[in-house]
Parts: sequence; C-alpha cells; structure tokens
Amino acid sequence: MKDYEYIIKTEGVSKHFGKLEVLKNIDLSVKKGEVVCIIGPSGAGKSTFLRSLNQLEKITSGKIYIKDELLLHREHDKTVEKISPDRHKALMLEMGMVFQRFNLFPHLTVLENVMLAPVNVKKVPAEQAKKEAEELLDKVGLLSKVDEYPSKLSGGQQQRVAIARALAMKPEIMLFDEPTSALDPELVGEVLQVMKDLANGGMTMIVVTHEMGFAREVADRVLLMADGIIAEQGSPDQIFDNPQNDRTKSFLKSVLNAN
Amino acid sequence: MEKKTKAAIIAIVLIVIAWAALAAAKPSKEVMMSKCSPEIQKQIEAEKNSTRKRITVTYNSLGFINYCAFSSSSKNADGASKEVYVGFAGKVYSAKEGPAKFVSQMVNYTYRMLGCGENVFHGAKLTILLTTLTVLIGFILSIFLALGKISKNVIISKLCGAYIFFFRGTPLLIQLFVVYFAIPGVFGFAWKDLFSAPDTEAVYMGAFVAALIAFSLNSAAYCAEIVRAAIQSIDKGQNEAARALGLTYGQTMRKVIIPQSVRRMIPPICNEFIMILKDASLVFAISLMDITTISKNIMTNELSYMVFIPALIIYLIITAFFTFIFNKIEKKLSVYE
Repeated sequence: MKDYEYIIKTEGVSKHFGKLEVLKNIDLSVKKGEVVCIIGPSGAGKSTFLRSLNQLEKITSGKIYIKDELLLHREHDKTVEKISPDRHKALMLEMGMVFQRFNLFPHLTVLENVMLAPVNVKKVPAEQAKKEAEELLDKVGLLSKVDEYPSKLSGGQQQRVAIARALAMKPEIMLFDEPTSALDPELVGEVLQVMKDLANGGMTMIVVTHEMGFAREVADRVLLMADGIIAEQGSPDQIFDNPQNDRTKSFLKSVLNAN
Repeated sequence: MEKKTKAAIIAIVLIVIAWAALAAAKPSKEVMMSKCSPEIQKQIEAEKNSTRKRITVTYNSLGFINYCAFSSSSKNADGASKEVYVGFAGKVYSAKEGPAKFVSQMVNYTYRMLGCGENVFHGAKLTILLTTLTVLIGFILSIFLALGKISKNVIISKLCGAYIFFFRGTPLLIQLFVVYFAIPGVFGFAWKDLFSAPDTEAVYMGAFVAALIAFSLNSAAYCAEIVRAAIQSIDKGQNEAARALGLTYGQTMRKVIIPQSVRRMIPPICNEFIMILKDASLVFAISLMDITTISKNIMTNELSYMVFIPALIIYLIITAFFTFIFNKIEKKLSVYE
C-alpha cells in the first residue's frame, strides 16, 4: 500500500532566533512505522526541531516533506513554494503532537477534549466522534474519566488524555515533545506504557525525551542532537553501548552519572 | 439543599406574602380621592367639565403604599393650596407634617424616579435599559476590536488601537454631544425624525438611540482592553495545541481561547457595567429623564433635599442586583477550575 519512501523527511532545515542559530541544516528521513528518539543536552534544539516539523516554529530555511510530498519550502525566512491550502491542511493532519505541559483545554471535559478536533476539523458526526473518543480513552485506560474536567486528573492521566486527543485525528505520525518531563516520577511509567503500546501498534513516532530507558527499549533509531546538529545517530545499542562521537560520550556520561 | 439557601427561600417567601397582604389591604384609589377637604372637592366638581383645571390631582400607587396629592393653583383664603394623603394598611393618613410627610415624599419621589406611569424612556427603567444594552453591544463590538488590536495585520491593529485611544481619550459627554448634535447637523437629519411616533415620544426615542450609540462606542473601547488582556492571559500552549489539532484561527478563538477568557473578563466587565450605570446620568444633557435628572428637577422645583435619599437607594439596589447576577455568571463559568 505504501507508495512513498519516507513518511517524513527534512532537507537542510535551519532555524535562527535573531543571531542565534538553533538548527543547522538538519536532514532527517523517517520510514513508516519507525520510532525515532531524539536525545541530547538542553538547548540543543531538540524541541525546536520537533516544533518546526509541526510548524509551531517557522523555520528560516529548508524543506519538509510528508509522504514524499512537499509540505514546506522556505529560504531566508520566506516561503518560496506555495502549497495549496487544502493539501497543506491535509498533510498537516498526518501529524499529531503531544506537549510537555499537556495543554489540555481546561474548560472542556475529557471527552470533549478528544472530540473537539474531529467534530470541528474533520466534520465527523458527533455520535461517531463520541464513540471513537470513548474507544481511544479506553485504550489509554481512562474510560471512567470521560466526564471529568482536566483539573481533576493527575499529570499522568492528563498526558494520556492528550495522547488520545492527538490520536483522535488519526494521524500517521506522532510527535512527542518531552511528554514525561513535567510529570512526577511515579506517573512517568503509565505514560511511557501508552507510548510503548502505540509503538508496538506500528505508529510512526518521533520522540524528544530524557527517558534513556524508554529510548533504548522502544526506539528503532536514536538521534543525539547537540548545538543544532545531529551529532550521531544509530540503533539504540550502537548509541548507548558504543558511542563514537565525543559529544555523545560526554552527554551519556553526564546522564548516567546523574542517575 | 444547603441550610443557607433554605433560609433565604423562606425569607423571600415571607417577604412576598407580607407584601401581598399589605398590598391587598391598601386603600383603593376611590377611597383616597374622597379624602380631600370639602373645598377641594367642590373645586374638582366645579371644574369637572372645564378644560382649564386649577386643581392638579396626583395619584401614585407604589407597592403596598399609595400617595394622593391635590394642589390648587388658586390660593385659598387660608393659603392651603396643597393637601397630601398617604394610604397604608387600610387607613388613609394626612401627610401634612411629621413622619407621614416624610413617607409621602419618599413614595412620591421614588414613584417618579422609577419612571412609573411613564414609558420606558423614564427614570430607572431608562437607566437600566440603557446600561444593559450599552454593555451588551459594547462587549460584542469589543471582541472584534480586541481581536483586531492583537491581529498580526499592522493596519487593522493600528486602526483598532486608534479607535480605543480616541474613545478612551475624550470625555463621554462630548462624544454624546457629537452623536446627538453634530452628526445630525452635518448629515442634515434629526434623531426624532427617525421615529414615526407622537412628537414628544419621538424626541425621547431619538435621544435614547443617540445615547445608546455614543455609550456603546465608548464602552466598546474600554471593554476591548479588558477582552484583549483576558485573551492574552490564556496560556500560549492552548493556542499551540489547537493549531496542532488542525483548528483554524477562528475555531481556535471561538472554541478554545474566548470561552476560557470570558470567565476572566467577568469581574472587570461587571466593574465597567457599574461605571456605565452611573455615567448614564450624562443623558441629562440631551433631555432624557433618568434618575439623576428627575431628582435634580425635584430638588430645584420643589426645594426638597430629601430627594437624594431614594435616588441613592435606587442606584444601590440596581448595582447590588447586577453585581449579584455577575457573580452568579462567574461561578457558573468556573465549574472547571
């Protein structure tokens, strides 16, 4: 069924914040079903890169392809190739995003949070959207909380709702921006479990994370970003057991010492 | 149900029952009219069929109390040109002096300031109508102004900023004059001509519409800053989450940002409402009869300083009532916190 090579691909993605260059010519190609974990020291540009894929940050220059179709091409802070709005929207909907701070809509119940986008963006009938939302919430183990407001839930529960909310749009790629960094340690496990289940279900995932155990266990590929470049990439075993790059070595050393 | 709520309901029921009982026991209009002195009665009889009347009969019925006054423009030999009566709980009291006189004044002034027996463009009815409509229209306009001001489009943003600057930077009274006098002057129409009512009523309607326009435009500028602040106080992550889900700008505003910011707007909008309630007294300048105008007229014409007691109480009651309503709305919108 796949009539494309890479589900998401970037070419020469750069990003400047004023004079500061946070991303330098990043090339990344991800195949369908692949789980990519991005690790690295803070300030390396991991989150910025992830947010650039979803266009929450406007890149300075570079190209982004979804399923080999051009989504965005910018040079010198200007979009150089126009994509038709309909295609652009359709391609954007292939990506779902989960944030560090959950960003659930506090004025809506759990069920309404999950239903909002399908009903308003995809115009799914409310009945059907409700059914699908309940299935998703069941999958993340929160079917009993459908009528609660997010403020009544723990951080881990909120993040699981956020994952269900992103999945409700049926994306083919899930982007996770440090999904467990804002959680109390004892709540991290439940969120990682949901992510593992997703990965096992064949979802393409790009995960920015500090959870080395998760990266090692679940990732097909681990990227180490430092100073706006991909310093090293490879299989988890390669990166964790036999790092080649000095930056990788020093980063892993500091992380492992901290633990 | 809570104990407090129960007690409040019982109290309200008791008050309603007492009110109804007293109102039922109130002397009727005929009884009140028959209480005047024989001379006055004679005069009323004599003038029954004449068109020029020297006797003015005033009858006010206010809740469970009523008031009746007979005043003659022709001086009697003994100088008694006015008789006042108050009816309460089945009895009629002469209100020439003492507490009865005070009560009679209060009843009469309150009756007039509430705008009883007049159309909606009088007294408290005018004040409440004007204030409510002003805040409603001003608030709706202000949402567009606020969105315009935070828009990324520089021209729209500057235009909205200029609007807000202008209306906050000039006195409301002059804005009212401009709308009521200058605009019809320039464009060659009169506000009252817009209505096909009898002349005096058309004047009131025209003045009311002019006041509503001026007040709404002014209030929109103040509310816009409230709305803008509330929208910008919403966490940026909400906007990002909505965009990541594919919601358009309009959907993000309607479904996510504005519903959350409305709750934060309620207390300052309530404040704005109370400000307008009091600013509404500026309509004296365009011949509308609101609470303030009526009380000022009573003071100058009848030299009675007591008039300010009911005036202040009426304002306080209106303020208390609407503050209560706004608090209820705020509580209702806070369920998710």
